[in-house]
Amino acid sequence: MAKVGVYVCHCGTNIAGVIDVEAVRAFAEALPEVVVARKDLFMCSDSGQELVKQDIREGLVDRVVVAACTPRTHEPIFRAAVESAGLNKYLFEMANIRDQDSWVHPDNPEQATEKAMKLLASAVGKASRLKPLEDKYVDVTQAALVIGGGVAGISSALELANMGYTTYLVEKEPSIGGIMAQLDKTFPTNDCSACILTPLMVDVGNHPNIKLMTYSEVEEVEGFIGNFTVKVRHKQSYIDWKKCTGCGDCAEVCVEQTKGRIPDEFNQGLSPRGAAYIHFPQAVPKKAVVDAANCISCKGHKFGQEPKISKKTGKPMIAPCQEACPADAIDRSQQFDPNGTIEEIKVGSIVVATGYQVMDKKWFKELAPDSPNVVTALQLERIISATGPSGGKLVRPSDQQKPKTITFVSCVGSRDENFHTYCSRVCCMYMIKQARLLKEKYPDLNINMHFIDVRAAGKEYDEYYTGARKMGINILKGKVGGLEVLPEDRLRVLAYDMEGAVPIEYESDLVVLATAIELPETAKKLAQATGLQFCGSHFYRELHPKLGPVETSVRGLFLAGCCQGPKDIPDTVSQAKGAAAVAAVPLAQGKVKIDPIISEVHAEKCSGCGICIPLCPYDAITFRMVADRPRAEIDMTACKGCGVCTTACPSAAIILHGYEEDQIYAQIAALTA
Amino acid sequence: MSDYIKLDSEKISEGVKTITELGGHGILKCVQCGACSAVCPGVKAGFPVLCRLLIKKVLDGQLEEMIEESSSWGCQACNRCTEVCPQGVRPQEVVFAFRRYQANELAFSTSAITSQMNLHSYGHAVFSDARELRKKVGLAPEAPTSAYNEKAQKEIQTLLENSPMGELGLY
Repeated sequence: MAKVGVYVCHCGTNIAGVIDVEAVRAFAEALPEVVVARKDLFMCSDSGQELVKQDIREGLVDRVVVAACTPRTHEPIFRAAVESAGLNKYLFEMANIRDQDSWVHPDNPEQATEKAMKLLASAVGKASRLKPLEDKYVDVTQAALVIGGGVAGISSALELANMGYTTYLVEKEPSIGGIMAQLDKTFPTNDCSACILTPLMVDVGNHPNIKLMTYSEVEEVEGFIGNFTVKVRHKQSYIDWKKCTGCGDCAEVCVEQTKGRIPDEFNQGLSPRGAAYIHFPQAVPKKAVVDAANCISCKGHKFGQEPKISKKTGKPMIAPCQEACPADAIDRSQQFDPNGTIEEIKVGSIVVATGYQVMDKKWFKELAPDSPNVVTALQLERIISATGPSGGKLVRPSDQQKPKTITFVSCVGSRDENFHTYCSRVCCMYMIKQARLLKEKYPDLNINMHFIDVRAAGKEYDEYYTGARKMGINILKGKVGGLEVLPEDRLRVLAYDMEGAVPIEYESDLVVLATAIELPETAKKLAQATGLQFCGSHFYRELHPKLGPVETSVRGLFLAGCCQGPKDIPDTVSQAKGAAAVAAVPLAQGKVKIDPIISEVHAEKCSGCGICIPLCPYDAITFRMVADRPRAEIDMTACKGCGVCTTACPSAAIILHGYEEDQIYAQIAALTA
Repeated sequence: MSDYIKLDSEKISEGVKTITELGGHGILKCVQCGACSAVCPGVKAGFPVLCRLLIKKVLDGQLEEMIEESSSWGCQACNRCTEVCPQGVRPQEVVFAFRRYQANELAFSTSAITSQMNLHSYGHAVFSDARELRKKVGLAPEAPTSAYNEKAQKEIQTLLENSPMGELGLY
């Protein structure tokens, strides 16, 4: 008979504050399988673990049950302790008496104690029937994938590539750079965004270990840590990038033909682009694409067709973009294909760095969204950027005149129950930055900034903010309630001065809205493809907010940058480099462990009915011929141990190791006793 | 009221409880952003202790000290505050809860008594004779309201006199 040792944890007051730990311990001691029952203030501490190890070493116990917090964080810790004392680590079972008991029943200590006893008895019942299991290992594909080519993805990719690993960098736009490439200068040092980012972009483009895949999207991710198979869709650009020199001649003629109808995303719609266009002048790779959805097929030259022959001249009528291209790179004879081509790549780990979008102003009807002189902060970045549509000159969109009074409105869609309850974290600082840059350039400009409060927590951030006050920028505490449109596209600001407890009303020429940072809709598609989960704020959920900030619940998948939550550039780059370091671990180890808690088919019992095959959510089951008859076989690298096949098998030929029938029945018996 | 206040947790929780029970359910959600007061026509018209400041004073434990405050009767129930509030406080409901508190304590300001009497007489808290003006702009002089309808006025008076307001002995 098994000799079960039981160890009940106080977890400080987390458990002991509700549950009578001594009563639970005494209850365990009386169970027939239990040879010893102890308790400790913190079972996971060195002294707590030592209790377990000593009992194993002395031969007192050969099965271990710890009643404590949660297996989610602490099962690996106790398994390691059991193993170090010389016992198979799968002869360990955990009773969850904190997350599933003391934390949910704080007002009912007596029944919580009773529940703890049942949970413990159930764990003991299972533990006494556990069998030793062995870890298995498989080789790792020595390559990484980074999804997203903003500053987060760029930083992660460069780190991984510098470590010597082949790194695929997939970006949906024609160029890497992301939102940082759209910014003018960056707080708190005011260095120019392009000057610090573009050299990194060039490094990415030239790095021998980086395989850059722009204008591409991840369609499907299969496999597991160490061995992922990823389908990447290259969008059809109708331009042969091997020939394209990035001269931009096609873009120039196209913007004339399309007559400014297509808003330039890079300039946040403040200027037009052609259907043939280059993402921005500093693009990497600097290649043109033809955006087929917006192409107007000049001279009737449609995709997938040869040009028409002119009745007048007898010559082919070639589209102007094709005519303009000196490198003969534009190929309109390719069929219109919204799907593009799929490339399959194999990688060992994946960093997701897909970034964010800023909310559109259209949602805020009280803030005059239809006025051209109400702009988002990202639009202002383009207005004041040297590469922007006005060459860095501050002009208001309605008449291209320099404004005299400019208003900044904070928390637009952030800290707001109607939109996002979270703080977008960077708006206070970037608005102060924009105000400071403007005040430096135009000392006469009247700048009013309205905050609920100023959040400037960061290295040298508060000094940057107080510096803005010293420059004569008006900082007002109180949220703007509304904007009213006046003649000549001026705006009346309805604000409030919290400190003076008086309403404020004045006229402004340009109003800047700090709209919230959020995940774009496309984030859902990637979550479906990868198994990533969302947190309450609808960003990708990290494994643990403190101790697993770059890991996710999908092993081998890591997070970097704003797709995990709003953050500024220093934090983004820190997280991106951290994600690269953790993503490199399986690659450096060369092999990954396969958890033995997975299902296995006993071929001699299998009738070959095939019921299990379509049920498996991981496509892990196939037929294998055993003595000329088909039998189900489970690929241990694909199996996640969900147990669907085990419960469905009519012949009981499939067992889920670590959850065998007698073990589960023993648990049920204990819980219903 | 003295020049400084002492923060008294009992007074604070008593004030919050009173306002919550009288219908100002969102008072504890307020983060004091001030958006409500930025758009409040009452605040602009010279009734400063509405919306943001009214909530702040209750949260400072100053409910009793404010009992004579006349600002609350400047609220026109336009609900612009409710529309712009990012936290779902519904400041207008807090203002009305405060009015109920004042009424229960018979602490009406004179402006409030006038509006109550207006309500009793015409069915409108704020009423002015607009017949001349309406004629000038080409409208029928009498709008279809209780102001020009004796039967409706009687009904309103009956309702008011039989309501808790009637028990205050105002009419």
